Amino acid sequence: MQTDLIIVSEYCQICHIEPSFLYMLEKGGLIEIDTVEGESYLPASQLYDVERYTRMYYDLSINVEGIDAIHHLLDRIKSMQQEINHLKSKLRLYETGNHESIADL
Amino acid sequence: MAYIDYYKILGVDKSASPEDVKKAYKKLARKYHPDLNPNDPDAHRKFQEINEANEVLSDPEKRKKYDQYGENWKHADEFEAQQQQYRQYQSQNGQGGGTYWSTSGDGSEFSDFFEQMFGGMGGRSSYSSRGSHGFRGQDYTTELQVSLTEAAKTHKQIITVNGKNLRITIPAGITNGQTIKLKGQGGPGVNGGPAGDLYITFHIPEDSRFKRVGDDLYITAPLNLYTAILGGEQIVETMDGKVKLKVNPGTQNNSKVRLKGKGFPVYKEDGKFGDLIVTYSIEIPTNLTDKQKELFREIQSLN
Repeated sequence: MQTDLIIVSEYCQICHIEPSFLYMLEKGGLIEIDTVEGESYLPASQLYDVERYTRMYYDLSINVEGIDAIHHLLDRIKSMQQEINHLKSKLRLYETGNHESIADL
Repeated sequence: MAYIDYYKILGVDKSASPEDVKKAYKKLARKYHPDLNPNDPDAHRKFQEINEANEVLSDPEKRKKYDQYGENWKHADEFEAQQQQYRQYQSQNGQGGGTYWSTSGDGSEFSDFFEQMFGGMGGRSSYSSRGSHGFRGQDYTTELQVSLTEAAKTHKQIITVNGKNLRITIPAGITNGQTIKLKGQGGPGVNGGPAGDLYITFHIPEDSRFKRVGDDLYITAPLNLYTAILGGEQIVETMDGKVKLKVNPGTQNNSKVRLKGKGFPVYKEDGKFGDLIVTYSIEIPTNLTDKQKELFREIQSLN
């Protein structure tokens, strides 16, 4: 499988952000940066998250610890939302009255 | 088109300093920013409102115009004409020209009120702290309805977003309410910035035959009384055709059997399927002949 990598220094230059910010995110365990022969690379699959974290940091003045906390809370909200959807589907089924024991074939 | 009270939106006084405006904006932006409120259209709308309020109140020129006209904003055109003359005068006299802002494509959808009052002045990005680089285009969201049968197969579909036809592949096993992202298919970037993304949320209406819970499917199959009592075979529908099931003698009404791997495909896991749970609904015969009734009575007397 091929992984697209972006050179960190070039990305930071184009987006006008400090490389130290990306290293802070890496140190905080929020993203991963690959180093190949002394050059740092950002996997393209993480771009969406990096953009989100950049907006939180630069536009909303949220520090990396805050971003980490928000990241965990959003993950929890997402999984709870999925659970709610799942339970709603189950409830609809139970409301039809078909909830007796199931024999495996 | 109604007047919008930008001071009220940011919760500041008319005498608020630029620092107060900035502080109020940041506080509200942290509360309503779309990154912190995914899939919340109310927060998104509120964020646009506070963005617009900040756009006006943090810019001395716009704020002056807004304060001067306030609820009489419909006269703003006259003000604009005066400003134009003033700028020409300054220019002829060797003084500095007006300030020109780059248009932001980042979350800045302005109200009609704003466009009417400041349309000619463009929009200054609230996200200008990272310099005057290109801005990422706006993200688009759309909804797509697919039937349960369509959602069970990987298939291609053509959708039209903002007048553009897109051929998309919908993987088998997609769930109701699930959103997928198509990178770069949103609004075009500004000043060489990347295009935004397109988010498609799928709606799968209830199916008349199958109920879906996660990757499992449920179906109710009618079973005649005689097969239920004596045992036999029953044809049951699955997503990929009919199957013949062996029915045990003495099968009770509402009893269930699980057909492993005959349920819904698991999203993006090739060859993996949930189960199909069949509920038997025993049909009691009606309109019996005299002979049949006689035979039933005979059975009854044997018990």
